[in-house]
Amino acid sequence: MLIDINANVGHWPFIQTNCNTCKALLERMNKYGVDKSIVSNMNGIFYKNTQAANEELHEEILSDRNFRDRFIPFAIINPIYAGWKKDLEICSTKMGIKGIRLYPLYHDYELTDPSCIELVKLARDRGLVVSFTLRMVDSRPRAWMDLSKEMSIKDLLPIIKEVPDAKYFILNYGSIMPGDEDKEFLNNTNMLIDTSGRGISNLGELMKTYGRDKFAFGTHSPILDYLTGLLRIESLRPNEADETTKELLRSGNAKRILVV
Amino acid sequence: MKKAIDRRKFFKQSTFSAACIMLGSKILRNNMADLSSEDTNPSASYNIMKEVMKYRKITAHEHVGLGETLEDQLNIADKLGIEKLEVSKPISEDSGTKATPEEVRKCNDAVLMAMKKYPARYLGSCFVNPFYGKESLEEIKRCMDQGMIGLKVYNQVKISDPLFYPIIEKFIDLKMIILMHAHCGLGVGGKRTKYGNIQPNVSIPEDFVDAAKRYPEAMFQLAHTGGGGDWEYTCKAIKDYPNIYVDTSGSNNEGNMIDFVLKYIGEDRMFFGTDGSYFQGVGVILASKLTDAQKKKAYFENYNNILRKAGNNVN
Repeated sequence: MLIDINANVGHWPFIQTNCNTCKALLERMNKYGVDKSIVSNMNGIFYKNTQAANEELHEEILSDRNFRDRFIPFAIINPIYAGWKKDLEICSTKMGIKGIRLYPLYHDYELTDPSCIELVKLARDRGLVVSFTLRMVDSRPRAWMDLSKEMSIKDLLPIIKEVPDAKYFILNYGSIMPGDEDKEFLNNTNMLIDTSGRGISNLGELMKTYGRDKFAFGTHSPILDYLTGLLRIESLRPNEADETTKELLRSGNAKRILVV
Repeated sequence: MKKAIDRRKFFKQSTFSAACIMLGSKILRNNMADLSSEDTNPSASYNIMKEVMKYRKITAHEHVGLGETLEDQLNIADKLGIEKLEVSKPISEDSGTKATPEEVRKCNDAVLMAMKKYPARYLGSCFVNPFYGKESLEEIKRCMDQGMIGLKVYNQVKISDPLFYPIIEKFIDLKMIILMHAHCGLGVGGKRTKYGNIQPNVSIPEDFVDAAKRYPEAMFQLAHTGGGGDWEYTCKAIKDYPNIYVDTSGSNNEGNMIDFVLKYIGEDRMFFGTDGSYFQGVGVILASKLTDAQKKKAYFENYNNILRKAGNNVN
């Protein structure tokens, strides 16, 4: 079974993308054998009121039984915008989300902002996964209106240390790893890194450092190509990952964190 | 492009239905319960490694001596079915090492060593600093005499600079391609929308165009669409110059990049490349909308046709 923990629909304003609707994403999933996708609506990165994007996604998923069967929605929440607690409650109790995605650079707040800490704690208490996308796009070919900064795992450490018992997805991982002390801390957290990012250049070696329970298949679709994240898993040799480990990467680790 | 979710819906959906939400919540809970079963299981239908291994591959942009051992590099290449690796060892002008003739020879010696150790795998390209004109031509002869197949140049001198003219003319005679590092980034002269250099003296698409216009019989390879900044701008800028080819290497494996290269550059002027990003290099082409025949061209045939011009092709 394959679960993509890092898919998106919606509009990216600076570049044309393919397969950015639920319908197109589902066709792609069928073509390449992806059973389920965790999906958010990228419009929420740019709307001031992110809840509108969550509602759009919910309505689209409801529009087709196949969407309901195959997509796992994550909400985008901005903890410094009015009404976010109520938004979280509605998304959690009425929209069936299993997690949230936070975009502190786009929404312009610090991860140690008291509201952000409160949001992560509330998500933890509801059993929701908290996702951070370290970068939506590569900053080198970025548009002039886009961000010039990308995040690293190091940047996430303050919030993870503040709420160490929350569940975290770290998406589109780049290249800066924390020091040994922080690695040990991260090893003891309930965290998954998806395989879409350029930092996953040697998954076999990374699993030796972080453990095989810390990685999961992800595409970062439609921004990145759909297959590189899968290729990093399926090309592992038997001495790097046995079938049991590959199943953890394909879906087992995701299912464990999602508690299903 | 169809967009089921767009900004118009932002307003339309402000009267969101509570009943709809309740229904959705129940259905989505059921969805999660279904995760434990595998009744949908489409994954058995696609075997990515079988697809990867279906295509012969020559990476048209790779390096040696930049930190990874030859054996580690070939191990990754084997995993991904990469038969041959075009390799070089350039010096970046901003690396702190001056590309003197002596340092240049050391770099090329590392490439020659790789070629000798694994002759069935490595296709060496010579690196020179055109600032040293006489020494560059001597070094090209030394490297070609030992079986190198092309030139790799970096940001010491722009590709359109007159210092390059004798070198370009030499490679016209050799019927070999010139692989030039490239970048197309934002932020020059205080104008955020102006494209130019992130690295000092790097060649931008317009520099390639100037060289290609002056030497239409030369062959230029613009490096790494996935690692050289704005690939859309790059492709549009060089579209009409048939002697400029691109390799699609680099760490930025954007989903639409290969289809865009196809649209603007065409199926005959793109080369598969890696430049250290092996998985992205393979994956970005595999996931594209290229036909099977076009993928064969991109992964292998196009670059092999370039090698054939000087009799260096792979059988």
